[in-house]
Amino acid sequence: MTSRSRVLAAALSATFLLTACNAGSTSDDPTDGDTQTGGETGDNGGGTAAPAGDDMVRIGLVAEPASMDFTTTDGAAIPQVLLYNVYESLVKVDQSGEIVPALASEWEVSEDGTTYTFTLESGVTFSNGEEFTAEDVVSSFEAVQNDWTVSLKSQFDIIDSVEATADGEVVVTLSSPSNSFLYSLTTRVGAIFDSNSVDELATRPIGTGPYTFGEWNRGTSITLQRNADYWGEEPYYDQVVMSYFDDANALNNAMLTDSIDVVGTVQAPEALSEFEDGDYQIIEGTTNGEVVLGLNNETAPFNDARVRQAVRHAIDHQTLLDTCWDGRGTLIGSMVPPTDPWYEDRTGDFPYDTEAARALLSEAGAEGAEVRLRIPTLPYATACAPIVESMLEEVGFEVTIDDLEFPAAWLEDVFTNADYEMSIVSHVEPRDLGAVFGNPDYYVRYGTPELRALLDEADAGTEEVQIEKMKEAATLVSEDAASDFLFLLPNLIVADPGITGLPENAITESFDLSQLAGE
Amino acid sequence: MSGRRINAPLVVGGLLVLLVVIMALVSYVWTPYEFKFLPVPKEQPPNAEHWLGTDRSARDVLTQILLGARTTLFVGVVAVGVAALIGVPVGILAAMSPGRFGQLIMRGNDILLAFPALLLAIMFSTLYGGGTTIAMIAIGIATIPAFARITRSGALQVINTEYVAASRVAGHGPLAIAWKHVLPNVTGLVIVQASVSFAIAILAEAALSYLGLGTPTGEPSWGRMLLESQNVLHRSPHLAIIPGAAIAVAVLGFNLFGDGLRDYLDPKLEGR
Repeated sequence: MTSRSRVLAAALSATFLLTACNAGSTSDDPTDGDTQTGGETGDNGGGTAAPAGDDMVRIGLVAEPASMDFTTTDGAAIPQVLLYNVYESLVKVDQSGEIVPALASEWEVSEDGTTYTFTLESGVTFSNGEEFTAEDVVSSFEAVQNDWTVSLKSQFDIIDSVEATADGEVVVTLSSPSNSFLYSLTTRVGAIFDSNSVDELATRPIGTGPYTFGEWNRGTSITLQRNADYWGEEPYYDQVVMSYFDDANALNNAMLTDSIDVVGTVQAPEALSEFEDGDYQIIEGTTNGEVVLGLNNETAPFNDARVRQAVRHAIDHQTLLDTCWDGRGTLIGSMVPPTDPWYEDRTGDFPYDTEAARALLSEAGAEGAEVRLRIPTLPYATACAPIVESMLEEVGFEVTIDDLEFPAAWLEDVFTNADYEMSIVSHVEPRDLGAVFGNPDYYVRYGTPELRALLDEADAGTEEVQIEKMKEAATLVSEDAASDFLFLLPNLIVADPGITGLPENAITESFDLSQLAGE
Repeated sequence: MSGRRINAPLVVGGLLVLLVVIMALVSYVWTPYEFKFLPVPKEQPPNAEHWLGTDRSARDVLTQILLGARTTLFVGVVAVGVAALIGVPVGILAAMSPGRFGQLIMRGNDILLAFPALLLAIMFSTLYGGGTTIAMIAIGIATIPAFARITRSGALQVINTEYVAASRVAGHGPLAIAWKHVLPNVTGLVIVQASVSFAIAILAEAALSYLGLGTPTGEPSWGRMLLESQNVLHRSPHLAIIPGAAIAVAVLGFNLFGDGLRDYLDPKLEGR
């Protein structure tokens, strides 16, 4: 139980990292750029970019990392560029959401679910030439527990011991069975460092990945170089340049003027129509970002399940998605994206039915209930709030929209103090049903004993039990209308034709470049 | 006073201002649709059902323009009201206070003048939460110096006239002099200043709403319409052009009106 809540706490603290884009560019020392390579670098939007060739691809992103050290610095931008590309982990999540081998060629879990035995790949070297050994795994995992300072480290509190039992074999013992553990290895806490070179994590990351860390022009770009000694399939491109832009329009314009070859994440779906002339490929995938119409389950009127269910009936989700997010995205109906193993289509639980909504409201005696829709000033929230307002007023709610500056004001009023009735926010952490709804102190104030029991059974059981129990949990959250699930944010990529292997689904912490290729 | 003539800017400005006022008044009795998401296609160009089209949340644009006129006038009244109610007495006080005290008031005024109005409004929004009223009070405070200065300069001229001296000799106190002689003589100046400040306040509200710091989500405002049209500019330019034109009309109207009024009230300035 305690380990569960620690994992919850970790997930809680990280849930908003992506939405917050809080990896602000703190270019403390612009001369500190790494100059170990003399390669060409892309220029961001200045119009003086080097021509694209097969030897190089330029990817545009927003939010530059503040540092390269995710052991001490929070923020989604750091693992986005480094994980799976420069650093590798024992296991990773592939594009279909499955956990697949990486540095561990195979692994076994003991009967009681507390002992994991990993068999490591051989002949793997770090980019500094050092050999990858079982000792590196031990030191990396122990560093998470001892040296890391970010709150995510608590995911490893469940580890009792890590031992290098043989050449190329590592045994991890947990204090209690946990399915979350293996998944956590696919995130940044699972990254494997060379035990002898962890002094310059902030500026010179060294890993075993398909790319090595090249040049970092602070405020502009990061260049990754092909790792010629990579143990797996070598990357297609000599160089991948990650160019960072301050705002989405600048990013899109850079694409239109051919200063970059790929828009890694299109921020506003409307922008796609600029690229629909056939000169570009538009890739739409999924994410883990459930846009939730969060209801405060603790206070009136949403402490009554019938009022919550009325909300779910009152919203025409397809029309909402078509209007506020240009029809890009997926309707989910519960807190599970299609890439999770326990996904079920729950959109049929509460079909759009204004009569049913009105009936539920009058049954609960809550006609004309006054509710505040206190939204963060984020694009999807401000775009969808007026439509939610109209749809709810149609069935008899009195809705007032209240803009709260994000992150500060929203985090304080809604997230911390739960001083709200409704809010709209995207939860971007993977597998976050438990983190959001399993904790009675979380801002939706749900966490019923019934749901917590299901979540605990799921985490402790076998894979089959986990899937079954998580399905039940998702059903419960949907049918009890713990909140409404507006839609799943799409992952939108625009790329020059001929570029393949882009990570279509943004379901990991990494912008996975390992499959990237040209024609 | 025989030189007072109706001039072109006064007429044109007056008509434009009148147009905005009429739009606001009409919105109280009639709008083509309710200001909310409608079950119709979004981003329609102007057509027979929706004369100015629909926006990206499938709301009627004409409805928003009419309701937005209210917001526009409201912000002007609040900002100019705050500025005039504080600025005019301060200006008169400065003019009538002999020596250091008057100087001190005007130096304080200069400090406030050095503070950019928009910056002050952004600061206020951060401290006291967003919202139109807060932002406009901030803009009003930032406009105080303009009113104080112009009032003081006008008042100084009046104070040195013989009839004021006569009034003083007759035993009238400073308050009575301010009320009976000074205030009536600066009224014209203040009205002209109010008209110009009105235009500035409208622009400030549009700018703040565009930044997401002014009028909140779900409330009609021309500045917000600009903000919301930004992402669809390339495919539905009318969503930016229409509120842009509305803002231009209102600002131009109040500026011309102010200019015309100044010429009308003070014929000596004509042709300068």
